[in-house]
Amino acid sequence: MLPTVKINSYQFLVLVILFTIGTSILVIPSALAANAKQDAWIAAILGMGIGLLIVWLFTKIGLWFPNLTYIQVNKTLFGKWIGNIFSLLFIFMTFLYTAILLYYSGSFLTIHVMPNTPMAATNILFAIILVMAIRLGLETIARSAEIFIAIFFILFFILVVFIAPEVEFKNIQPVLEIDINKIFQSSLPLIVVSSLNTISLLMIFPAFINRPSSAKKHFLIGNLIGGLIVTIITILCILVLGSDMTALQMFPSYELAKKINIGNFVTRIEAMMAALWIICLYFKMVIYFYAAVFGLAQMFQLKDYRPLTYPLGMIVVILSLVIFPNNLEQSVYDTTIDIYFSLTICLLLPLLMVVVYAIRKKQLQKLRKHRN
Amino acid sequence: MLKSAGILLVAAVILFIEVPSLLEKKHKKELIVFSILLAIGVGLSIAYSFGSAIPNPIDLLTFIYKPLHDAITR
Repeated sequence: MLPTVKINSYQFLVLVILFTIGTSILVIPSALAANAKQDAWIAAILGMGIGLLIVWLFTKIGLWFPNLTYIQVNKTLFGKWIGNIFSLLFIFMTFLYTAILLYYSGSFLTIHVMPNTPMAATNILFAIILVMAIRLGLETIARSAEIFIAIFFILFFILVVFIAPEVEFKNIQPVLEIDINKIFQSSLPLIVVSSLNTISLLMIFPAFINRPSSAKKHFLIGNLIGGLIVTIITILCILVLGSDMTALQMFPSYELAKKINIGNFVTRIEAMMAALWIICLYFKMVIYFYAAVFGLAQMFQLKDYRPLTYPLGMIVVILSLVIFPNNLEQSVYDTTIDIYFSLTICLLLPLLMVVVYAIRKKQLQKLRKHRN
Repeated sequence: MLKSAGILLVAAVILFIEVPSLLEKKHKKELIVFSILLAIGVGLSIAYSFGSAIPNPIDLLTFIYKPLHDAITR
């Protein structure tokens, strides 16, 4: 059997918060502002609400089998062959997202912080700490997340307080000018990135937590807190930069940090603020990679997942380098193909699981009694 | 050439770290999966270092979902 470690539900809450904020804090404000203009904050709140519903569905799925991970649930529900195909799709998705996030971090660092460094260098460095985290195991990841969430909230507080003098309320007027359809449409990227993709947490959620039933509450609360932080950042972006500037920027919240100016003394502290994004990005990446590696090990019924980490880390670096030729392709992918892909794997498959579970409920209960 | 040598060196280090303990514990299945993945990794890395095109999963996804996207947005 694979090694089993348990984390407590508070640690899980921290992981959910970091996962929900993840890349959303960096790129979502511009995606929201592209269609919804100055009403992007309404779209953010709407997305948060719908996201909570989706997370509720995931917790339901997780609590059917409190001792199994998502891969094993797939196998029990659909049988060996179809279950494994679905698991393979899930692993493919998490692995691809690891590479995409690695690309994000690489392009963020090479564009804004270290322009003369080739992307391969930053990506390899990032992949090394990624592999290190996975090898040390879930408990270490959760404990370090507990420490980093404090740093995250301190930095976030500093950002919000320091940017407050720059706020101009005329930027969000007129409110509700855009029709409601467009607002819904533009909230879709937020739903996908911060709520639908939390399906990766189903690799941790019921099986590796002390008390799964209290963790269910924390799953929802964590998603809510993460959503609120993304909403606050979006509101600040709109209020400070204006909707057009927000939509044009690739990393609007980084531009936001550049605007900080307290008495011509506290200026240009965006490099410090970059720590915010690196922390979130890193933990989201770790969870994706953990889901991919652990999922693969469980699918092949291996005794240990650690041997797979180095080769997969190698592949992930190469994939992150070839995956997008430039930032334009990445933003086109993010706003079109990625949404359909995530909807298929993170919403269509779970709904299929609900249907199959409803049909096979009695049979499965008999099976469980038999096993006990 | 230098790049490929570096990649092979990295692969050798990985082999050195993983294989002895796997052989000791007689984890045969792990060893097979590990070897296949490492071979893919080394192959892709060397192909990348020579500048040849590597299959991109995004292209596959675009091929699958593009007709759907066009049908919805039209």
